[in-house]
Amino acid sequence: MIEKLQKIKENASAELSGVSDKATLAAYKVKFLGKQGALTEVLRGMREVSPEDRPKVGALVNEIRDAIESAVAAKEREFERAELEKELASSFIDISEPSKGHEKGALHPLSRVYETLIDACVNIGFKVVDGPEVELDYYNFEALNVPKNHPARDMQDTFFISDNLLLRSQTSSVQARAMKSLTPPFKIISPGRVYRNDSDATHSPVFHQMEGLVVDENVSMADLKSMLTSLMRKTFGENTELRFRPSFFPFTEPSVEVDVTCPTCHGEGCRICKGTGFLELLGAGIVNPKVLEMGGIDSKKYRGFAFGFGVDRVAMVKDGIGDIRSMFRNDIRFLKQMK
Amino acid sequence: MKVTYKWLKDFVDIEDSAQILAEKLTSAGFEVEELIYQNEHLHDVKVGKIVKIEKHPAADKLQVCKVDLGGEFVQIITSATNIFEGAVVPVSLPGADLVNGVKIQKSKLRGVDSDGMFCSGEELGIDDSYVEGASVNGILILPENFTLGENIDVALGLDDVILDIGITPNRPDCMSVIGIAREVCAIYGKKFKEPSLDYSTSQDKVTDYISVERKSDACPRYMAAVVKNVKIAKSPDFIRRRLFAVGIKSISTIVDLTNYVLIEMGQPMHAFDKKMIEGDKIVIRQANEGERLEVLNHNAYSLSPSDLVIADAKKAMVIAGVIGGMGSCITDETKDTVIESAVFDLKSIRLTSKKIGVRTDSSARYEKGVYFSGAENGIKRFLHFVSALKLGDICRGLIDEHLPAPKARVAICEVKEIDDILGVKIPEKEMSRILNGLGIETTIEGGKITALVPPYREDIENAYDLAEEIIRIYGYDVYDKSETKLFENSTVTEGGLDPRTALERKLKNSLMHNGFFEALNFSICPPDICEKLNISDNRRFMVRIANPISEEVACLRSAMAHSLLSNVAYNESVGNKNINLFEAGRTYQPKSLPMAELPVETNYIALVSTEMDFAEFKACVLAMLAETGLKYKLVRSKEGYLHPGISADIVDDEGEVYGSFGRIHPIVAKNYDISKNTCYGEVNVDKILPFAEKKFNVKPVSKFPIVERDLAVVVKEEISNGDLMAAIKSACGKLFYEVRLFDIYRSASLGQGVKSMAYNIKLSDENKTLTDEEVTDVMARVLKALKFRYGASLR
Repeated sequence: MIEKLQKIKENASAELSGVSDKATLAAYKVKFLGKQGALTEVLRGMREVSPEDRPKVGALVNEIRDAIESAVAAKEREFERAELEKELASSFIDISEPSKGHEKGALHPLSRVYETLIDACVNIGFKVVDGPEVELDYYNFEALNVPKNHPARDMQDTFFISDNLLLRSQTSSVQARAMKSLTPPFKIISPGRVYRNDSDATHSPVFHQMEGLVVDENVSMADLKSMLTSLMRKTFGENTELRFRPSFFPFTEPSVEVDVTCPTCHGEGCRICKGTGFLELLGAGIVNPKVLEMGGIDSKKYRGFAFGFGVDRVAMVKDGIGDIRSMFRNDIRFLKQMK
Repeated sequence: MKVTYKWLKDFVDIEDSAQILAEKLTSAGFEVEELIYQNEHLHDVKVGKIVKIEKHPAADKLQVCKVDLGGEFVQIITSATNIFEGAVVPVSLPGADLVNGVKIQKSKLRGVDSDGMFCSGEELGIDDSYVEGASVNGILILPENFTLGENIDVALGLDDVILDIGITPNRPDCMSVIGIAREVCAIYGKKFKEPSLDYSTSQDKVTDYISVERKSDACPRYMAAVVKNVKIAKSPDFIRRRLFAVGIKSISTIVDLTNYVLIEMGQPMHAFDKKMIEGDKIVIRQANEGERLEVLNHNAYSLSPSDLVIADAKKAMVIAGVIGGMGSCITDETKDTVIESAVFDLKSIRLTSKKIGVRTDSSARYEKGVYFSGAENGIKRFLHFVSALKLGDICRGLIDEHLPAPKARVAICEVKEIDDILGVKIPEKEMSRILNGLGIETTIEGGKITALVPPYREDIENAYDLAEEIIRIYGYDVYDKSETKLFENSTVTEGGLDPRTALERKLKNSLMHNGFFEALNFSICPPDICEKLNISDNRRFMVRIANPISEEVACLRSAMAHSLLSNVAYNESVGNKNINLFEAGRTYQPKSLPMAELPVETNYIALVSTEMDFAEFKACVLAMLAETGLKYKLVRSKEGYLHPGISADIVDDEGEVYGSFGRIHPIVAKNYDISKNTCYGEVNVDKILPFAEKKFNVKPVSKFPIVERDLAVVVKEEISNGDLMAAIKSACGKLFYEVRLFDIYRSASLGQGVKSMAYNIKLSDENKTLTDEEVTDVMARVLKALKFRYGASLR
């Protein structure tokens, strides 16, 4: 009996390698484990085994059945896997086919730069303030230390609506308004659109500014420098350096122009920065105490610093836009490059 | 402001080159915009004498000249006709690079060698006012006494360097050579060499010849001198050369001298022909209404009492500070002259100059401010030259009519104030050195600065002004090494976006994710946009610019649509298709006309698409609105530029309109020459602002299953889906969960003018599983309601 069983075991093991698909596996299963199968046949002959040998034989039968069953199960898994692989291999799609729904659009380059600049300022404590574009002469000029008929008015060609109404030539007008309603200490920025009556290859009658104002008890030119350095580094990269040059603005004293490491050549000197390694980007200074007083702020107690720059220029430099006019033509071939 | 390197050297010793000087001036706040070397194009041009002229063997019109360059001889072939043997001429030699771009090389002309070229005045960049004969059409014939072989720049005195400097409006004193020279002194720590004001006079008294009456305080000071027997002639070389360098044409001695003093001292001067002054009296007064004066630019102007004039006993002679009259100017026949040096109110000069549209070197200085003692220095400097150059007999005394002289000002502040403003510590010794160097007499004692402000520095009043003077000369590069940390000296403040920017960002992002590209348009537009947009309401009354660049950009837009529709037109004109654009911008609406107060500015987000149909476009508008908490419904729009049948207004229960969208009106499509199926929409951001925040009220999800039923009804075409859905919702009562239109069907068998609308209705109960009877009951109620309200029948 034991010999018979050993024989079945050997046969089962030998024939397994001949099982190559589901059909032969089914036949194999029937042959060894089926009702008419080899093992069943052996079990039928158990009566002939002596009672003392029965446990031993029974254990051997179980062992052989388990071995065959697990071999069959393994084969089954193998065949299922192969079948799936075959199916997977034959079912694929062209992943470069267009997707459904609309492709994403994009923000205007100017908006992107505005977001960067505004967020950088908001993160260090600036509030965004807004104001009218059609403005009173008072807020655009007089409150900023530029009385009527003052020579400093020649610095900007202004569009007038009437004697007393004009299109703001600088977003400083917003600050002049804000000073009257805010209590120091405060930090504000005023992004927005401004108008100047000149138009040529490098000037646009409408352009975009962002100006900032900090009023506190003890701020200085050195604080202005560190604040602008922080802002410009967030805009153009950590290795950006700033340089001050003397200048004149009616609302600041001292006044400076601020040069920033050319982001195109990183200071090496290129066509954009005319070989100097620096770009003239901002105007800034300590707020003229007269301007604070006109804004209702005690200039004995408080001091301020202010800065401003053309955002169009920043966008052009940042995104390599050569012609300012191309920013406002709104040609989708231009805008799509911002995706 | 143009000054020359050599002219500056009259007042300060400069060792640095013009190039380095320019860099230092720039870093002190006087930006040298251009550095012009007069001899840039004069190298390799020498003085030569034509010793022999022969005909060219092979060309009728050419001549072969032998030229002496001071012992060295060259051969020049020329076609010029005004040359002769013995003529002294400029000769350009190989290597020369003339101002007109001509580069000289050795060459052969019809087989004969030529070593260079003779030059005309034009080729040297000069004209008759500089050297007589320089404007003739031909070769410049030089004076015989010129040294042969000498470089032409030296021979002609064209070896100076011109610095063109941008002068900021706060520094009118630097619109002069002495003003810049004072800055140079401060930069280098040099002593300023005061201009000589000495002169000798004759025995005649000025008051015997002329009297002055100052009738207007718009002239705070009027000084006059009389010079008899003036020599009207060609000015000495140094005057003509310097005037030429700064771009002023030389005329004759007295006139040139007024200009010379103007540039050097910054004080405008005027010279009258004394015999043309009727009554020997000068009156400074406001012009009479309609008073006419013909002036040196050959125009006549009609004046009014707001204009200041210099008159004689009978008539106006000069528009004060702006331009002189024809009748009283210096001529070749002038014998005696009256010299004026005055101070005028800057606003008065500015207004007149602007009004008549005449700007001169004189008005440019007066409108920025000329100082009280400057008038005296100017006239004395003028007389100094008259005396030194022996140009006439100066009468004794000066006429000086004036308001009380302004008091000397003292600026006082603490050293600490300067330190606090600058945020860097500058040694007191340096502060003192710099301020004194600028002519501001300063003492620093016990931490206190006392600064005596010179009369020409009206811009200096307080610690801030002094701080600026100190730092700009000390050098802003001190900040290159500044270690100050971000806001280490200030209070912590809370930052944040303004509510509008925050809302705009949400709306813009929604559109961007739905395939729209952001456009940016100027808000200036032509006056006829409302006509083009088929708008007939108040928006036709627009904000108008008084001084526009052109009529195309003379107004501010009162409707957003113009901008984006113009963008579509542009894009389609260049062949772009599938245009989806949006813009965040403003409209401007006057409250009344003519405008007396600020207009209403309204922020919008507008969008346009040539790709989407109404339904797709609507989805984008609604997706944007879904970013907000606005509760709205859609009603048919009456907006002029939208298609009356294919457009909607976004309104609330009170009928307040928050925006509109839809296909554009065919007339508007035609006006803009754009696709008829263009969709346009806009929302009023300012109106939505109160609803910017989206509020949620979450209900628990029912544990019981949702039951779905489909229902198709046939209705007339004019019955809207919105109405049917609302009726379904209401009929379902509190079991309502959701309704969705999934099919619209039209066919001949259904009949004309009707449609079948198929809805998927979802019902749910919070507390139990719905039974079949309950559902059947609800569906019956729905159908009944649709039948009753909209004449619907079950399909």
